[in-house]
Amino acid sequence: MKRKVAWGKVYLGLVFVILYAPILYLMIFSFSSGKTMERYHGFSFQHYADLFADSRMITIVINTVLVAVLASLIATIVGTLGALAIKESRGAWRNSLLSLNNVLMVSPDVIIGASFLIFFTVLGIRLGFISVLLSHIAFSIPIVVLMVLPKINELSPTLVDAAYDLGATRWQALSRVILPAISPGIIAGYFMALTYSLDDFAVTFFVTGNGFSTLSVEIYSRARQGVNLEINALSTLMFLVSLALVIGYYFVSKHAGRRQRVVAVKEGDAQ
Amino acid sequence: MGKNILEFKHVGKRYDENVVLRDINFGVEAGKFYTLLGPSGSGKTTILRIIAGFDQASSGEVLFDGQRINDVPANQRQVNTVFQDYALFPHMNVAENVAFGLQIKGVKKTVIQQRVKEALHLVRLDGYGERAITAMSGGQRQRVAIARAIVNRPKVLLLDEALSALDHKLRVDMQRELRQLQRQLGITFIFVTHDQEEALAMSDQIMIINDGRIQQTGTPVDIYDEPLNHFVADFIGESNIVPGVMKKDYVVNINGQDFECVDAGMKPNEKVEVVIRPEDLDITTVDKGELKATVDTQLFRGVDYQITAHDQREHEWKINSIHKTTVGAQVGIVFDPEDIHVMRYNESEEDFDARLDSYEEDED
Repeated sequence: MKRKVAWGKVYLGLVFVILYAPILYLMIFSFSSGKTMERYHGFSFQHYADLFADSRMITIVINTVLVAVLASLIATIVGTLGALAIKESRGAWRNSLLSLNNVLMVSPDVIIGASFLIFFTVLGIRLGFISVLLSHIAFSIPIVVLMVLPKINELSPTLVDAAYDLGATRWQALSRVILPAISPGIIAGYFMALTYSLDDFAVTFFVTGNGFSTLSVEIYSRARQGVNLEINALSTLMFLVSLALVIGYYFVSKHAGRRQRVVAVKEGDAQ
Repeated sequence: MGKNILEFKHVGKRYDENVVLRDINFGVEAGKFYTLLGPSGSGKTTILRIIAGFDQASSGEVLFDGQRINDVPANQRQVNTVFQDYALFPHMNVAENVAFGLQIKGVKKTVIQQRVKEALHLVRLDGYGERAITAMSGGQRQRVAIARAIVNRPKVLLLDEALSALDHKLRVDMQRELRQLQRQLGITFIFVTHDQEEALAMSDQIMIINDGRIQQTGTPVDIYDEPLNHFVADFIGESNIVPGVMKKDYVVNINGQDFECVDAGMKPNEKVEVVIRPEDLDITTVDKGELKATVDTQLFRGVDYQITAHDQREHEWKINSIHKTTVGAQVGIVFDPEDIHVMRYNESEEDFDARLDSYEEDED
């Protein structure tokens, strides 16, 4: 029995080493004074200095974040309303709406990207910020719907009846009862959309056009000319930021969890 | 007789092909405690939802204070509901839940605070205002739901299976409290339940619903002592229902044996059903018994023994007796003339009431 547990831990350790080794490797070389990753040349912040001097790269980072924040915000609003509409709809109509939503989730990004390219070209929309934003909103909506819908399904139908019963209009029932009650799903949907938008490559690659680029597309095009260690520096920073976000999220949810545990104990007392 | 605050006139409800309510007629007097009692699927909750405005009647009229309210939306009706699952808003604390209706109506903050405090006091939850809903026990949530409804001072309070989620002891306590609260506030309560004990204990008036129709309306005592038909007799309490023949007024024949009874107004030799409640039967010796029977089973239930016995014509009798007997024993069964209740087949409630009035007047 003990042996098995030990082997399990070894396996787990191995998986994590394999998963994190490339990132670690990349991070170490971001501090190398050399120009390539063939050999470590000694510690230096040179590549970080280069990165912050590279105004094109900084612009692209800002663009990427701007697109992600805006796209996921709009997608959250549209997706939440869409999920509410799906919940309200009945029978075959509801199933088809849900299927149409899920098809978008599973269809390959390349197909979505190519079809957006054709779509924007036909409509005569210039490729750039707007086209990227629109396509990011579009592929984020199904994600939000999938995150919000289970929360709506959890709601007791009598909750809405109760709101009407107490005199609420449809809008008041939505804004004061339904939306606050499903807010965990909405927030989760927003962050999910944000991460999808931040690291999307395939769709964005088709619709960026000239003069506008996002991080993933830019890194891809630079990597084709041999990886510049400036990319390593950028990747390291991004990794640290996301690590900080994850740790922050952990503490926030742990705090919330503790509050819920206290609540559970109280409930026991009350009985 | 007070005036009717709520009235149903020929109300029907159907979902597509499925008929849920057929020609429902009743009036509700202000300030009384009404119970809609019926098995699940009988349509009682649908009646409640039509009163609240969550469902629309397919036909007929719903009158509130003499005004037709068929097309008045739920949020404009002077009616509040206590839901079966309480439907408390999980993201608000107790006081916020109770204050919700008043906030929606735009009542002043200081007034809201005062009224929320009063409402919580009425349901004996003083000082619980800041608690989260998840921190409340089932019985406490029930009280919050009631407070949230009565704080709006509705003319009619609807309670949908409001006690069915509570355990037995708590439920009995809440029955007493609800009844007291109703008297104190003077609000009309309309309570939906499938629990006949609950209905008998709390109500001024009970309406028995089955198969989308009102079977019988009356006080708990009327309905228990004088059930209109087989369904009501069987649904309310335990009963022995046996076929019989009405020989003439005040004489009924069961199993070829004539018994004196207190019912009249039927045709001579009319086929009827006879109801005798198990607690009205008692065990005695064979020679003193009106009926002779053999004991099949006996269960001790604390207050009494539940005995089943069969007579010489193989009719089974349920007897609740405080006297012990033994399984297999030959016993006599005794009962008094007033313990016999005779029911005619397919008699309408109007005819039943008229018949009762006719011979009860004779007696006076």
